[in-house]
Amino acid sequence: MDKKLSALVSLLVALSFLLAACAPATAPASPAAPAAPAGATTAPAAPATGEKVTLRTLIHQNPPMVAYMEEFNKKFQEKYPNITVDQSVVNANDLSTVSQTRLTANDVDVLDIFGFANAAQPYMKKADAPNWQTLIDAGLLMDISDQPFVKNYDPAAIKDAGTYNGKVYQTNLGRVSYSGIYYNKDLFKANNVKVPTTWDELVAACAAFKKANIPCMTAGGKDGWPIFVGAYGLIGAEYPDQAKLVQGLWDGSIKWNDAKSLDMWNKMKVYAQDMMEAGASGIAGDAAPGRFASGAVAMFPGGTWYASAIDAAKPAFEWGYIPWPGSNNAADNKNLFGKYDQGWAIAAKTPNKDAAIKYLTEFSDPANYQAFANAVGFIPTQPGATLNTQIGKEVAPFLSNFRVGYEQYWVAPKGAGQYANPYASYYKPFGTYDDPQTLADKVQADLQSGLDAVK
Amino acid sequence: MTSYLFGHGRSRWLPYLFLLPGVFFYLLISLGPSLATTVFSFTDATGIAGAPVHFVGLDNYKEFLFMGQGSADNYDALWRTLKFCFFVTTIQFSLGLLLAVLLNQRLKGTALFRTLYFMPAILGVVILGLIWTLFLYPLGGPASRLLGVFGLSSEFLGGPPTEAFAWVIVVQIWANVGITMVIFIAGLQTISAELYEAGRIDGAGSWQIFRNVTWPLLTPSVNTNLLLNIIGSLQAWTLFMVLLGYRNGTQVLGYTIFAQGFGQTSGSVTSAFRQGYAAAASIVLFFLVLVIGLTTQTILRRREARIIG
Repeated sequence: MDKKLSALVSLLVALSFLLAACAPATAPASPAAPAAPAGATTAPAAPATGEKVTLRTLIHQNPPMVAYMEEFNKKFQEKYPNITVDQSVVNANDLSTVSQTRLTANDVDVLDIFGFANAAQPYMKKADAPNWQTLIDAGLLMDISDQPFVKNYDPAAIKDAGTYNGKVYQTNLGRVSYSGIYYNKDLFKANNVKVPTTWDELVAACAAFKKANIPCMTAGGKDGWPIFVGAYGLIGAEYPDQAKLVQGLWDGSIKWNDAKSLDMWNKMKVYAQDMMEAGASGIAGDAAPGRFASGAVAMFPGGTWYASAIDAAKPAFEWGYIPWPGSNNAADNKNLFGKYDQGWAIAAKTPNKDAAIKYLTEFSDPANYQAFANAVGFIPTQPGATLNTQIGKEVAPFLSNFRVGYEQYWVAPKGAGQYANPYASYYKPFGTYDDPQTLADKVQADLQSGLDAVK
Repeated sequence: MTSYLFGHGRSRWLPYLFLLPGVFFYLLISLGPSLATTVFSFTDATGIAGAPVHFVGLDNYKEFLFMGQGSADNYDALWRTLKFCFFVTTIQFSLGLLLAVLLNQRLKGTALFRTLYFMPAILGVVILGLIWTLFLYPLGGPASRLLGVFGLSSEFLGGPPTEAFAWVIVVQIWANVGITMVIFIAGLQTISAELYEAGRIDGAGSWQIFRNVTWPLLTPSVNTNLLLNIIGSLQAWTLFMVLLGYRNGTQVLGYTIFAQGFGQTSGSVTSAFRQGYAAAASIVLFFLVLVIGLTTQTILRRREARIIG
């Protein structure tokens, strides 16, 4: 009898395990369903007004922007007490990966997405579609063409950075320049150094600071990209039309080891080895503005988005911002290269569509947008917004020369090696190269390998 | 040796019933996704729900193994993976054994030291990354100051790829030597004290006792540790992501697969989502681990049978 009872109990326990394994605890993750038409919203009906909603938002780490969003979220929740904003912040390097996984899992409502760029051009053979296009084609981003808040934005910005196949999928929040240099006005004055307008003047300025035991430049080398992005102005000095540069690289009319490019590589070596301070590779991207604002370093090559962080680190700090003087002709050094930075998109399958639209409507209100632009230092994409900030004043003389940069056009051919990019970080101490010709040949060889593979 | 039969009647099939949940979980969580990965490796899947998926045959494998400089970079990543495995396994194994022998003695404080050496194993990759990033901060971190005392300096994790790679090996060993040590301690404690006593009575010295008594009887622990170290280090990549990011000259195969599958961002440019391609790369890594793992296991089993019987 005991044996029978224990066998029965054992059987019941085993069966309960099986049933627990089979019964889904939550709704099953949706398999690869047939693609809905792009922008079609098949989400369940939004909760009735007054019903409590948790709006899940995703942004990337940019301290002034995060600080602004926290304040904005507070005010938004006060205005809409039934909506709780659950904001996630990820490192910029991880934004794309996290966006993909959370959109696929339908675990996000409103997300921060970089301006549409890197679209495959007709001359690019066998190029993969960029991520944002893949997300749209899979029906994961909502078509917001008819939303009233879209009209608050500059139509050109909407067209260039948020439109695909005639429909709007994101409202881009601003342009940034990444090809300028912040400089410490006090250090320049104290050491009698002229603000450089040409390459030779920049080299001389750095030499003067080094003589005074002052590091010339700093950057957030630990994150990798601040080193090579900091030198994008040097690409611009040789190739002001960067859409043509990219096409030339693909069709072979421009090579990374031709005479013009070699001049660029020579200057990048000086930048990486003589201008950048020792130990920059250990500075995190977020920490670099603070390092500059501490007054320890004369210059800080970087994007306009750092301005707020510099001011926050030390409000009384006197700084200026100049385009990279990569050429010895001062007239060539008046361009600002950059990109359309972050924008807002709504997940197509969000169950909180009303709340998401309210959120973006509130954000896009001109007063709120102006406050955002002031906080983060973006070049505004709303016609009524102005550059009321220090960075706005610094870039205003050069805005008419704003150009979209190489990074926003480039798509690497399949089979290209990992060095097929114009990155100053390939040089020691950040990389392994020392000789400009050797590096130039390697970069071109890596690129050519891909071009040959897709012929 | 008598083989145990599970009785008769329902006693015979009952154990298999208890095994069923485990088998089911294995199919669901391990074998199932592995088969799905194999299937995806022959497609252009992006991994995004709703995106069209097309069969591309062996294109992904051809691209990974034979296409241009890109595939040469993949072989470099493969070579680095093997180097990482070799150094981590040999050093971690040796250090773990040394620590186990030292801490298996009845001395004051051994329990404390065992805990201290094991603690990094429970910390998690992100915490490890934070600790070591701070420790190796080149502008005034503890390691930098220590080098400064001798008039030296280093960029550590931001330095030349070889040095950065070496530091990841150091951190990997630091994080996992505790596990190796614990497994060896468990093995040492199964060795009867009488055997040591007998050896001492026969006049054997410490090294002779270790070589002729301890080492052979530690064979099961040796085998376990070697297999765990080899397979674990072949698949390790998260520490690279946390400590170095996707730096040229430092990537291992696991990280390459992750970057290809989920998009690696550089500046504001993100590589496309290519989970079909990443699936093909992971199948290549799987076969690498399978070949090395099976070979190691076969050699170790034969050794164990020869020594212990």
